[in-house]
Amino acid sequence: MKIIKILNPNKSISGRLMVKVLIVSALIFTLTFTLFLRMAANKMREEAADHAHSELSNTIHQIDAILHAVEIAVENTAWIVPYNLHAPETLYGITETLIKNNDFICGSAIAFEPDYYSSEGRYFSPYSYRAKNGKIRSRQLGTGTYDYHYMDWYQIPKLLNSPYWSEPYYDDGGGDMMMTTYSKPLYDANGKLYAILTADLSLEWLTDLVGDIKAFDNSYNLMVSRNASYIAHPNRSLILNETIFSTTYGNNEESLTKLKDDILNCRAGQVLRNMNGSKFFVFYSPVETTQWNVAIVCPRSELYKGVRTLRGMLIILGFIALLLLIALSYNGIRRVVAPIEDFSDVAKTIATGNFDAQLPSISSQDELKELHDSFKHLQHSLVEYIEELKSTTARRERIDSELRIAHAIQMGMIPKSFPAFPDRDDVSLSARLVPAREVGGDLYDFFLQDDKLYFIIGDVSGKGVPASLVMAVTCRMFRSVASHLSNPQDIVSSLNDSLAEGNDANMFCTAFLGILDLATGHLKYCNAGHNAPLIIAPDGKVAPLNVVPNLALGVFEGFPYEGQETVLDSQMMLYMYTDGVTEAENHNKELLGDNKLVSLLEKSGSQDTGELIDITFEEINNHAKGAQQSDDITVMCLKYCK
Amino acid sequence: MKKYLTILCLICCAHISVFAQQIIFTPQWTPQSQFAGYYAALELGFYAQEGLDVSIVHPTSSYSSMNMLLDGSANIITSELIPAITASEGGLKLVNLLQTTQHSTLVLLSRKKDVTAMPQLSGCRIGTWKAGFSEVPHIIDNLYKLDIEWIQFFNPLNLYISGAIDATLAKSYNEQIQFSMSGITPGSVLKFSDMGFDYPEDGLYVTEEFFIKNPELCRKFAQASRKGWEWVRNNRKEALDIVMNYVKSEKVATNIYNQKFMLDKILEVQGDVKGGVPSYTLKEESFNKLNDMLIQYGYISKPVEYKRFVGGEL
Repeated sequence: MKIIKILNPNKSISGRLMVKVLIVSALIFTLTFTLFLRMAANKMREEAADHAHSELSNTIHQIDAILHAVEIAVENTAWIVPYNLHAPETLYGITETLIKNNDFICGSAIAFEPDYYSSEGRYFSPYSYRAKNGKIRSRQLGTGTYDYHYMDWYQIPKLLNSPYWSEPYYDDGGGDMMMTTYSKPLYDANGKLYAILTADLSLEWLTDLVGDIKAFDNSYNLMVSRNASYIAHPNRSLILNETIFSTTYGNNEESLTKLKDDILNCRAGQVLRNMNGSKFFVFYSPVETTQWNVAIVCPRSELYKGVRTLRGMLIILGFIALLLLIALSYNGIRRVVAPIEDFSDVAKTIATGNFDAQLPSISSQDELKELHDSFKHLQHSLVEYIEELKSTTARRERIDSELRIAHAIQMGMIPKSFPAFPDRDDVSLSARLVPAREVGGDLYDFFLQDDKLYFIIGDVSGKGVPASLVMAVTCRMFRSVASHLSNPQDIVSSLNDSLAEGNDANMFCTAFLGILDLATGHLKYCNAGHNAPLIIAPDGKVAPLNVVPNLALGVFEGFPYEGQETVLDSQMMLYMYTDGVTEAENHNKELLGDNKLVSLLEKSGSQDTGELIDITFEEINNHAKGAQQSDDITVMCLKYCK
Repeated sequence: MKKYLTILCLICCAHISVFAQQIIFTPQWTPQSQFAGYYAALELGFYAQEGLDVSIVHPTSSYSSMNMLLDGSANIITSELIPAITASEGGLKLVNLLQTTQHSTLVLLSRKKDVTAMPQLSGCRIGTWKAGFSEVPHIIDNLYKLDIEWIQFFNPLNLYISGAIDATLAKSYNEQIQFSMSGITPGSVLKFSDMGFDYPEDGLYVTEEFFIKNPELCRKFAQASRKGWEWVRNNRKEALDIVMNYVKSEKVATNIYNQKFMLDKILEVQGDVKGGVPSYTLKEESFNKLNDMLIQYGYISKPVEYKRFVGGEL
């Protein structure tokens, strides 16, 4: 199971580390081996090039030696010609002697300029050659069908004013063989050219000499003239028929361009060529005398045979090294990761509530030691925290219990049975108070005395327990004071003075207090900084009651409150509320607002006080959309029915 | 059945050989794809089918087909149009039997870079064929007094490589391909066809005398030769094999790649429009234009009549 976990990198740090180590190691191995192999390949190529050029150099020296021998033989003959110009027939003796004394020369001519001898005509070229039977024959070379004046061996040295080795050509006159001709221009005392002295050199030996180079096991050799024609090649049918560029006509490969440049400019070098789908290295070097090029063509695979063997060995070694690395790194990583797994087990034990679980022993001073200390600290902190939590929870439960009791007491202080006066048909009254917390600072109250309805609605500043205490005091005082006084402003003044006295907490309470004479509909009222109630006419029209604002209760002792009066017509309703109604918020902190409340009451068209209160709270809930209630909400609605 | 067919064939062959007229045909150069149509006509028996016993004898590099026509060693030759017209000035009246190429293939390959006109080569050594084909460059040389030293050659390749000449005239189907196959990239290539000298070149010629005596023979030879060229156009690979047989028998130093590109080039300039279908006829307009130029520059003293030149009034 553990092995499966380790092998799954998504579930195990060991696995992930192993994979990373393997990837990085494999990359490093690959990079190192590649670089090493590349360097080895370069070294092998350099050594192969040195070896090839050394072989080429030997061959070229041998070729040069023969070519130089021809040049010397011609030079040694040239000086005799002027002494025989007076007797043209003696010139044959010169060419015959040249051949006789030099076995490697198979033909020689003294080709004269046109009409040099008027007696001989346009063409006069005494020519001697070695016949197939080995005997030396002579004849006059030039004829109307063989105008030697336009042959390369004649024309080029003449134009260049210097000796010239002709490009190899196939001689079909003498011996059916490939030849080259060395031509030396001859000048008279005035420096005027009068003839070209030549020596023909058979090149049959060249193919054998070049073919004998054994540079590499599977290499072959070739030689090309300056015009890139093959003059030595294992495939003899190519000789003098094809050039090294025959098959690459129109091809502009970089290696070809370099090869062309080097051949034309008589430079040694090497190129990598793609021939018939395989790659070959071509090492070449020029014969300085003739500017022909000898080349060794070697398959690239042959050259890199050693590199391939080395690569195979390195792959095996690399594979073994990776296996060793896996084994070693597995042990190393396991030693590091095992304590982490122990800590994981301890964490699970702690989670069950056993804060004293034994931590794994760490002897090192590294990150694991830090983890160990952190766990120890965590254990101590958890014990302390849990103790504190227990104490806080007990305290909280006690407060909650007390608040529940306080809520019950507060709610018990306000009338909650509606309709309030079921036995009377001249008045209907409904009210509802919903505190924002367990206890609140809103209040309402009413009572009947001498056919008069005393009522109050108020809102204590702040919330919670302090506000609830002020609310309780205000409610009690309303009941005790109102029963002795007949004017609302007197009652309000009395309440104000009582609350203002010793009001160190600066608490205050807005209130609207009224006395409705149920016999006449005459309403006396006094406002103490509270929202103006709304009058709902029988036809559904809603309008605010005209109120003097005055000051809230408890703010300023002895404040002269001004009372007001009005008459309620039959079926007219007085709608009183605290600011919790119009300031009810939704999640976007948007308030319900006065206009929306007025609009709601007008649209409802209801004449039932209880129903109006239900509609109000339904609208508040719809507006809030589950947002937490932030203020106490109180609505009281009375209807005069007489 | 097979036996009877063989006997019938032998009788036919005997009939042909008994009545065949002997003709020596000489193309203007050594064996190469330039003459593939004639080789094909001979090898495939098109001449024999016309009752002609044709032998092909090639000229040497220093003894041209025109020389052989003159001395009677050839009956029918190929020649370029310009020398065929100018021959009249020397008294040799020729008749054009077939016009095989309609465009100039003459180019100038220069070692010097960025040459766009011949005057830029003033005073240079330029190679030119000993056999001719160079009238237009000579006209330009004379016209602009370029003082060019013309070096005659049989083949310009080694002259150019050795540095003995600065530039050379060449045929785009022959020497230019040879240069490329020798790894040589000239500094500049001037095409005479681009300089307003796009004249027809190769054609089939006989002397007027021969034509008057053997009009039917000439017609048959031209007909069979045309058939040969049409076969070559449709059978290039097989045609190349025939050419290479001729090349080998004459020991010409060349190769199949060289001959392939030469054949493609030759077939391209046979069309009235380059690469188009050939008509094998000498257009009067082209002929007269060339006639006028040769008179203007003194190559001929009086115009050669087109109708007479193509055998129409003989």
